[in-house]
Amino acid sequence: MALAAPNLNRHGQSRSRRLPRDIPRFVVLCILAILFLAPVYWMISTSLKPEADTIAQPVQWIPAHPTLSNYQEVLNSPDGDILRWTWNSLYVAALFTVLHLIICVLTAYPLARMRFPGRNGWFWFILSSLMIPGIVTLVPTYLMMIQFNWINSYNSLIWPGIPGVFGVFLLRQFFAGIPRELEEAAHLDGANSWQVLWNVILPLAVPALVTLGVFAFMGSWNNFLWPSFVVTDPEKMTLPVGITTFSQRYVTDYGKLMASTALAAVPVLIAYLVAQRYLVAGLATSGMKE
Amino acid sequence: MTSTSDQVARQPRQRPAQRVSLVPYLYLLPHAILFLLFVVYPVGYGLYVSFHRWDLLQETRPFVGVEYYRNLFDPSTPQSQFFWQTLKNTLFFTVVSVPLLVISSLGLAVLLHRPIFGRAFFRAVFFLPGILTVSVMGILWRWMFDNQIGLVNAVITQFFHRQPIPFLSTEWLAWIPIVVGTVWWTIGFNMTLYLAALGNISESLYEAASLDGATAWQQFRGITLPLLTPQTLFVVVTTALASLQLYGQSLVITNGGPTRTTQSVIQYITEEGFSNNQAASATAMAFVFGVIMLIFTAAQFRIMARDVQGGN
Repeated sequence: MALAAPNLNRHGQSRSRRLPRDIPRFVVLCILAILFLAPVYWMISTSLKPEADTIAQPVQWIPAHPTLSNYQEVLNSPDGDILRWTWNSLYVAALFTVLHLIICVLTAYPLARMRFPGRNGWFWFILSSLMIPGIVTLVPTYLMMIQFNWINSYNSLIWPGIPGVFGVFLLRQFFAGIPRELEEAAHLDGANSWQVLWNVILPLAVPALVTLGVFAFMGSWNNFLWPSFVVTDPEKMTLPVGITTFSQRYVTDYGKLMASTALAAVPVLIAYLVAQRYLVAGLATSGMKE
Repeated sequence: MTSTSDQVARQPRQRPAQRVSLVPYLYLLPHAILFLLFVVYPVGYGLYVSFHRWDLLQETRPFVGVEYYRNLFDPSTPQSQFFWQTLKNTLFFTVVSVPLLVISSLGLAVLLHRPIFGRAFFRAVFFLPGILTVSVMGILWRWMFDNQIGLVNAVITQFFHRQPIPFLSTEWLAWIPIVVGTVWWTIGFNMTLYLAALGNISESLYEAASLDGATAWQQFRGITLPLLTPQTLFVVVTTALASLQLYGQSLVITNGGPTRTTQSVIQYITEEGFSNNQAASATAMAFVFGVIMLIFTAAQFRIMARDVQGGN
């Protein structure tokens, strides 16, 4: 990664001399890492205990009778279907991401690369909507969903968020930085604006598209407040919402509860391992160009 | 910056023979329709709703003017009592958590910025909690701070031989799991922003400073901290914005209790709107809270606006 390079030059030369000085820093980091991992350890440890052992006194640091029965019961539970919720979350997040990207690309392209009356006015108008806190539109949008008959429908989880403006802003900034000569050359060859977008701009914008895609997917996947009100049918619930209904049901059965939270964490872990390169790079560049 | 070239390019178009092309507007159309429907319209609709008595089960919705707004400023109504109480809770959370979240993420970034054995592993460990959804994080921390047998109380009883502390059911103490859980959950995000910013600081500044005999702390105070000011501003404002929108953490960890001490204002607004079926009252509260949020959002907007100008 780019940001590591200058440091390696400087410290690479003097690594051996610096090593003893690094030890306290390393020890501090190890202690912090243990504190950070403790909840995860406790989750997995609890999920492997039979119910009686989760409340045993004194506390069992290591499961005395490890078992996978909590996982089995949670996966086969009649009270809710974790796999179903995971699928719903995946489906909603994937569809949201694709639609959001398409809409943002179509909007950012003319705003960045074309001249037409009203361009700046419209750009500032939609950008100013970033000022409106989400809570303001929560209840009215909910009332709209009732009128649309979209309660307990994926539509209510997908459509209201599609015209998000942050994505338009991000892509417009990126598109604006692409050299104009490339576009002019394509125009001279007789390409129309659609062909320019498709063949010139988009291939160059892949990093920005991936960054925005990851943001959109994570945002939809982790969304909690809105889905918890527009979806009450367990069949249509997303994972974050479904898992809280579990927690209300198994309020004292921490073995099952921890097994279900561990299961709910698995898809994001996999997604993280796949996308971590883009995720960290995207985070580092978003709005932070100083 | 491009104003002169703009004018040169624009001149031919101002000749009457040339018509304004429809093409750009066709590109904008899909987004514009959805934007007007799901962003602009709900704001106006919300204002309309907040001026009427709105019961989903009733056919008639009489106009009541600013009654619901006035209720919020009339101390005798339960709405006013709970709204300001939960707003105070939210501000308390913000005031406590923002400095913690900013200082700890900066500290972590400084610890991790220079090469060290296992750096990639440490970065992943501190970043990973942030990818969990708020409900998973909340369930986990409720269990960590369980009154009897959570990990925290297990440590207190077995290593320190004290009575377990009923964190979740003690007023004010119930904030501890929420704040600690939030730090654990969000530190990696800010840490990553700081790591990127630290990478952009020229090493020659530090070299010059150490030639002048500056200690590590003096270098941090004199070079790192001032040069990180833009990022710190950004992190403070975005973290404050996120903290003001506290919802999931306190809902899942304490369910707002005990006796509403940890209930966030958003949780109360949703309770009023959805559990009490008071859409108009909830919307009025949302607008009042929205104005408060707006001040913070405006600050963030200004920071972002620098980028717009830079990119044009």
